[in-house]
Amino acid sequence: MCGIEFPTDPNLLVGLDNADDAGVYKISDDLAIIQTVDFFTPIVDDPYWFGQIAAANAMSDIYAMGGMPKTAMNLVGFPVREMDISVLRKIIQGGVDKMREAGVVLVGGHTIEDSELKYGLSVTGFIHPEKILIKRNLKAGDRLVLTKPLGTGIINTAIKGGLASPEAVERATRSMAGLNKTAADVMGRFQVHACTDITGFGFLGHLAEMVVGSQCSVRIYSQSVPILPETRALASMGLVPAGAYNNKKFRLSMIELKATVDPILLDIFFDPQTSGGLLMSVAQNYTSDLVKSMRKSGIKDAFIVGEIIDGPSERIILE
Amino acid sequence: MVKELDCRNLACPGPVIQAKRMIDEEKPNIISVLVDNEAAVENVSRFLGSRQYKVSITAVKEGIRIVGQKEDNFQGQRDEIYSGNQPAKKILVLVSNDRLGHGDDSLGKKLMLSFLSTLKELGEELWRLVFLNNGVKLAAKGSEVLPVLKELEKHVTILVCGTCLAHFELLDLKEAGETTNMLDIVTAMQLADKVITI
Repeated sequence: MCGIEFPTDPNLLVGLDNADDAGVYKISDDLAIIQTVDFFTPIVDDPYWFGQIAAANAMSDIYAMGGMPKTAMNLVGFPVREMDISVLRKIIQGGVDKMREAGVVLVGGHTIEDSELKYGLSVTGFIHPEKILIKRNLKAGDRLVLTKPLGTGIINTAIKGGLASPEAVERATRSMAGLNKTAADVMGRFQVHACTDITGFGFLGHLAEMVVGSQCSVRIYSQSVPILPETRALASMGLVPAGAYNNKKFRLSMIELKATVDPILLDIFFDPQTSGGLLMSVAQNYTSDLVKSMRKSGIKDAFIVGEIIDGPSERIILE
Repeated sequence: MVKELDCRNLACPGPVIQAKRMIDEEKPNIISVLVDNEAAVENVSRFLGSRQYKVSITAVKEGIRIVGQKEDNFQGQRDEIYSGNQPAKKILVLVSNDRLGHGDDSLGKKLMLSFLSTLKELGEELWRLVFLNNGVKLAAKGSEVLPVLKELEKHVTILVCGTCLAHFELLDLKEAGETTNMLDIVTAMQLADKVITI
């Protein structure tokens, strides 16, 4: 959006210029509203699951900043002439069920006729102005925790080619439909310095955003990064979405791949995710308690995946 | 039996799916897939590799051609050609830039990838591959030709100029070949039957 001048306001706490997960506007000293919007074309065949995934994905940005989503509006593009309206009903049902799980109310929405089906939400939530978690606040010594397994982009590519097993499809679908609410609740109880959610830029792409500007480097424990079953085999077969290669190309200069690390992991770590997990930077002495609490709350895929180090600026070292 | 596919204008995973269908149905010894983007090159090469095809990649006018040759046949042919024969001569290839030729740089890089991928066609006569000046970047981290060099390295000695690596601050980032000095390079040139400079 270069060249366009945006209006400014002293109450705008997080806006376009620092490109974070959601925008935050202060209402009073102890209350701010947090807003985000996201919508996309179907990524799974089942309309009810697609509705859940799109809603979970849209609300995720609020959780990633430490906020609590409260209200939402549907955004729908629908090919009325080609598709039966019952499909849309199932999608909305999936979205509404996910909102109910999140404690979010649907306050309205808008539908347009479109040649391709699209669904998503505009979400508004609340956040305390002093508890906003931005991306660029990694602290040396912190540990990185990731809460969902990677590989949804590769599995979705395999689905398009009819090459993913039903088990892999189901695991990926459940993971994408999973809300980041519980992870955010647990995160709120610990000293977390920075957070983002993993989406289109992939794990390393979003991590790179955190690293740039935090003036530090990170070391990734490649073997500890959670990955969906079959992802590695599918990636080795060439079922890697073009987005993963673009993500990799864009950030490759920051990456140092130790000889012991299988290079296929690099593609998986750059795989664009739909409704991915939270990636957070946690004070080291709280990390194991945080991960234990996550596991106890049902987040089985929460893992410590790396650490923040001093040293040459803005490097991501995979070991 | 050579089977050809035109997978231009196809987004991933389209090209892989088409290649898979052809291999499943017709089991060709040689399959040639024409694509028009980097992701497809990477994915189709991987797929053919996973199905035991030996892969070579060539930039052509219409796009990028990926040729897969069934590995067991390839082995057979090689054995026939080389059984009992000592290589007739020793060829040294000296690479002093990270792209091939002058003019368009991105074309030059594609051509270099293609050149290095095709070098194996020299067979056992290819004796040394030497990287000098800007050429050393090809052997360092981030280079697109690294997989090709790593494959070549199994049969050919690759020498990379240490002074040049140091100049570009790439000493720690070299991922293929042996770091060498000018005396080694000059000696190798003297011993070679033919030196090709590009």
